[in-house]
Amino acid sequence: MKSYRILAVSALCCGLLLWAAAEAPAQAVVKVGNILPLSGPSASVGLQNKQAQDMAVQEINDAGGIKSLGGAKIQMLYADSESKPEKGVAEAERFINTEKVHILTGAWNSAVSYPVSAVAERYQIPFLVPVSVADKITEQGFKYVFRIAAKDSWWTRDQFAFLKDLQAEFNTKISTLAFVYENGDWGKGFAEGWKKHAQAGGYKVVLDEPYPSTATDLSPVVQKIKRANPDVLLLTSNAADAILLTNTMAEYKVKPKAIIASGGGHADPSYLKAAGKNARYLFDIVEWETDVNKPGAKETNEKFKKLYGYNLTGESVDAYAAMYVLADALERAASTDPKAIRDALAKTRLTKGPAMIVGYDAIEFDESGQNKHAALVMVQVNDLGKGLERITVWPKASRRAGYKPVFPIP
Amino acid sequence: MNASTATATSPLRPPGSAWPSRAPLLLLLAVALAVPLFVRSATYLHILILLLLYAYLTTSWNLVGGFAGVLPLGHAAFVGIGAYTSTVLSLQYGVSPWVGMIVGGFLSTLVGVLIGLPTFKMRGAYFALATIAFAEGLRVMVENIDRLGPFLLNGPRGLQIPPLELGFGRFMFAEKEPYYYIILAMLVLAVGITWAVSRSKLGYCLAAGGEEPEAAQSLGINVARVKLVAMAISSFLTSLAGTFWAQFTLYIHPKSVMSLDISFEIAFIALIGGRGSIAGPLLGALLLRPVSDFSRIHFGDTLPGLHLVIFGGVLILVMLYQPRGLQEPLTRLYRRALARSAGMRERG
Repeated sequence: MKSYRILAVSALCCGLLLWAAAEAPAQAVVKVGNILPLSGPSASVGLQNKQAQDMAVQEINDAGGIKSLGGAKIQMLYADSESKPEKGVAEAERFINTEKVHILTGAWNSAVSYPVSAVAERYQIPFLVPVSVADKITEQGFKYVFRIAAKDSWWTRDQFAFLKDLQAEFNTKISTLAFVYENGDWGKGFAEGWKKHAQAGGYKVVLDEPYPSTATDLSPVVQKIKRANPDVLLLTSNAADAILLTNTMAEYKVKPKAIIASGGGHADPSYLKAAGKNARYLFDIVEWETDVNKPGAKETNEKFKKLYGYNLTGESVDAYAAMYVLADALERAASTDPKAIRDALAKTRLTKGPAMIVGYDAIEFDESGQNKHAALVMVQVNDLGKGLERITVWPKASRRAGYKPVFPIP
Repeated sequence: MNASTATATSPLRPPGSAWPSRAPLLLLLAVALAVPLFVRSATYLHILILLLLYAYLTTSWNLVGGFAGVLPLGHAAFVGIGAYTSTVLSLQYGVSPWVGMIVGGFLSTLVGVLIGLPTFKMRGAYFALATIAFAEGLRVMVENIDRLGPFLLNGPRGLQIPPLELGFGRFMFAEKEPYYYIILAMLVLAVGITWAVSRSKLGYCLAAGGEEPEAAQSLGINVARVKLVAMAISSFLTSLAGTFWAQFTLYIHPKSVMSLDISFEIAFIALIGGRGSIAGPLLGALLLRPVSDFSRIHFGDTLPGLHLVIFGGVLILVMLYQPRGLQEPLTRLYRRALARSAGMRERG
């Protein structure tokens, strides 16, 4: 039994493999392999990343490509990780071995970027990470990984710095905190940071509550918040649960003095639409806001909105800026040799150009490959008569002119 | 029609036909052994290793899912137990993953038997649901446990295995070839065990119990016990794949090694290839893995999600036209061809 067909099928498979392996790479371009979650649970953010990078690459190529390489164009290759580490690794291997890419970028999910960084290191291909925020990605002693975004621990650090400034500005004492966060990789990482900072700052933690972000009813969590009655509630949520939490809290009339969210679901455009006025006065920490006071930011956002129908987010801005960081490194490397690109990336000090729509003034990597200038801003959701909007309030230097934050929540 | 009548070593077949019936499998093995000599690209070896890994997982699953006539959908739990056991032991105590692999295997066996005891009393969908519930429950627990006694599990963030010490003893290699041959050897072992079981008394008891539990019981077969034995072997073998997975990707987290996706993919491969036969899991993996990988590579960037649609389409087509899997019609074809070449006429 068994059959010829087994052979036929296996022969077919081998044939497919050889055929695919024989495809030769093209010439006179800089090949960038980009691994993103293009299907599965994170598909929409993966797509936003892709669009921002596409737009940047189009601009760079239209402006004449990489001049030191005789006008070489950047060619983006995309692969779908489905948010799964093993697929991300397989695609990284394929990009490096088969497509012969000069550089890797991606992979949005920290869980994918983490193992991909090991692949990049082994093959000595630079891996430019726009937004995977898990600290550990740049803390492995690797030489080939570079990250644009602020890392996990900086987000919580800045949330507590904001809390301190808020108390000083309004002369109101905050003593009790509640932590409510999704129980995944991301939420747990934040909660760890919060605990550390709360202890150092002398706050009392009255509630520490992880919840599954797929929950369809969060009223038990909200009741716990009500019972704990904290001065300030800190949240880390994905989109659906952020909406659910906010609306359930309004239903139960839970009103701490302030609510501080951590971007993610709270920064998703769908959040404001679905939560409506219940979201008013929420503080949210993000990397970038459309009202940022940087030259070109407004125009870039308009262009993006015209192309794809929605605003840039902090993550898309990082993805956009990453492509200009790459172009800058390629200009200085004047070579497509991955080692030369790596060395040029390590010496990056970008202070002008389209990448500078980010909320800070320079992009420069430290020893570990982390962008040391990456900074965050705090926004408040409020209605100034033109519907709900996100208004930058902190750091004070970036605060929207004439706006005074509302604290405590009336 | 299940198990024994459809296997390579069916007792109904005339003697002397054993060699031709095994010829395709042996040829396949010869091809598999030679593949790394031709496929030099690490990318394609990586894909082939995953193919063999899934063939191995499905073969292990098949002992329960095929021969015992039930549909377990929680085998990801054993993959996870295997991966976590060997990884924790090697990261925290420096124990070689090979030893951790065996420890994980026994732990999985224990867990498998403990799940089997109450659930084998359930029939059909209830059994499938109970196994899903167990595997998902275990995943949620691991996601929410940072530390289990002295063992650091690191919750949803998972464990990274630093590639510091390479070599056979540490089950870690810079090249893909060793991984390829290890998983190939594991697959040969699993197929061998399946083959031995299928022609043993256990195999017949399993087939009888799977088809007609009441009738089998009336003949004096302890159906629950034989199913438990099959579950024990199956969970042990599945667990070994978990360790292999961990050492191959060097990073595990609950959503990768314990996800329902693994359990489902195993079941899909078995259904496509043919449950309860030796070649079924191999055929299923040979068809489905390349479909999934190559459609992702070629369409994943242009039309996101299209590869999943293609995958689903293939699944539906096979289920519509060959609900017992590809193994059966292929077997018929092969037999006919053999008969013809022997100068005999045989009707299908």
